[in-house]
Amino acid sequence: MLPVERVIGEEGLAASGSGVKLAMRLPWYRSLPFSVVEVASLEVDGRAVDLSDAQIEYNGESWPLAENGEKVDTFWFIRDSSFLVLPSLALPVDSEHEVALNLFVSPPYIPGMKRVNPQTDTLRVAA
Amino acid sequence: MTTATGPKVGVTLYSFTNEFLTRQFELDTLLAEVAKRKLGPNIEIIGFQSFREFPDVSDAFAEQFQQMMADTGLNPVSCAINSDRFLKPGQQPIEDAALVEYHKRQLRSAKKLGFQLVRYQFALPVHLLPEVAPYAEELDIRMGVEVHAPMWAGHPAVQAYGEMYDKLNTPYLGWIPDFGGTASRIPESMLDAARAKGAKEDLLNKLKEVWLQDGQSYEKAGRLREWGMAHGHEPLHIQAACLAFFILSNHDPKSWAALVDRTIHIHGKFYGVSEDLVEEAIDYDTILRLFKDGGFTGTMVSEWEGHAYDMRDAFEQVRRHQAMARRVWGPDA
Repeated sequence: MLPVERVIGEEGLAASGSGVKLAMRLPWYRSLPFSVVEVASLEVDGRAVDLSDAQIEYNGESWPLAENGEKVDTFWFIRDSSFLVLPSLALPVDSEHEVALNLFVSPPYIPGMKRVNPQTDTLRVAA
Repeated sequence: MTTATGPKVGVTLYSFTNEFLTRQFELDTLLAEVAKRKLGPNIEIIGFQSFREFPDVSDAFAEQFQQMMADTGLNPVSCAINSDRFLKPGQQPIEDAALVEYHKRQLRSAKKLGFQLVRYQFALPVHLLPEVAPYAEELDIRMGVEVHAPMWAGHPAVQAYGEMYDKLNTPYLGWIPDFGGTASRIPESMLDAARAKGAKEDLLNKLKEVWLQDGQSYEKAGRLREWGMAHGHEPLHIQAACLAFFILSNHDPKSWAALVDRTIHIHGKFYGVSEDLVEEAIDYDTILRLFKDGGFTGTMVSEWEGHAYDMRDAFEQVRRHQAMARRVWGPDA
């Protein structure tokens, strides 16, 4: 990743309904369609999180993570966070967790390039 | 109407990627900073970096942007657009008609924002140029394809484009050389950044060796990856080293001579200019003389890409780069 790139967004982890949501930033220098970004893995406190019911929330819209690969005309603006909503991951407000997120990015004008972008951070669950 | 007298300097906001991504500046405050430091007035902007609404900007935003240009006195020369053909990784590229429409959307936006030309990319297959060029003519906006590493004047794709350019014979299509294609060496600052991440010296020596070999960027990256994995190097160290394959190649600086006539704009790619105004990896003295002697009268925007691996002061780097260009091109550049 570039020196300033990050995949865990500044807004961190927050309670969301019965679960939590995690802010994500796009690790590239320009906006890209969501279809070229893949959530490769997420671990909380060393355990893999099941992403089968995860949703992406961005700019007032939301869609199942499983459909992200179809989002060819929804652009993730490079300055914005999007959110990974995890309805089944219940974490108490104010508790601290080690979060490891890895995003794959395949720039749509560079055939064959796929970058891995792992980041680990300790985050407190906001209300 | 102004008379072009010689090449001019300018800057692409891409040089300030780190400052922008870390939210130190908004678009308007970044433009104001560029103007205040006298790094303009000629500027390039990547549509998909700076404009939230790209590829389809609204009339309201276009008006705001033109006001920013008026307030700062900056001159919107070039808008970089993207030829995003591979929207579904691992699957077939998008249909030709969809790719043509994707270019038209970006051309309309660039025109609406007041840019004189767009930078486009070789990911647009050459057989689609006859469909895109008339639209650029209709909008009255020129298109320059970026000749970016690993491409150079002698690359087959550049030659195929050149043949199509001859056939279409329109002033609306041209070249945008990016000097990263004719680097003399991998910048030491880039190697230092890989060292700082923990990359070992034997990996970097192998990088230098593979970098000089023939082949596509991803093939060379594959070669280094295979060697590195077999020799126990960390995947992230290998990835850091592989950056060089995608942004730099070492073709002859004089090879640009073949493209001067149709060059409409230049990306003055650079990594580090010293206090005595020498770039660490690219032979600017040779290249800039060649373009001046060849009659180039467009803009070279300073494109500092050291931000991809370190946090030096981008504004100071751009100031030095422009001073270096004026040393060769003269004080009026």
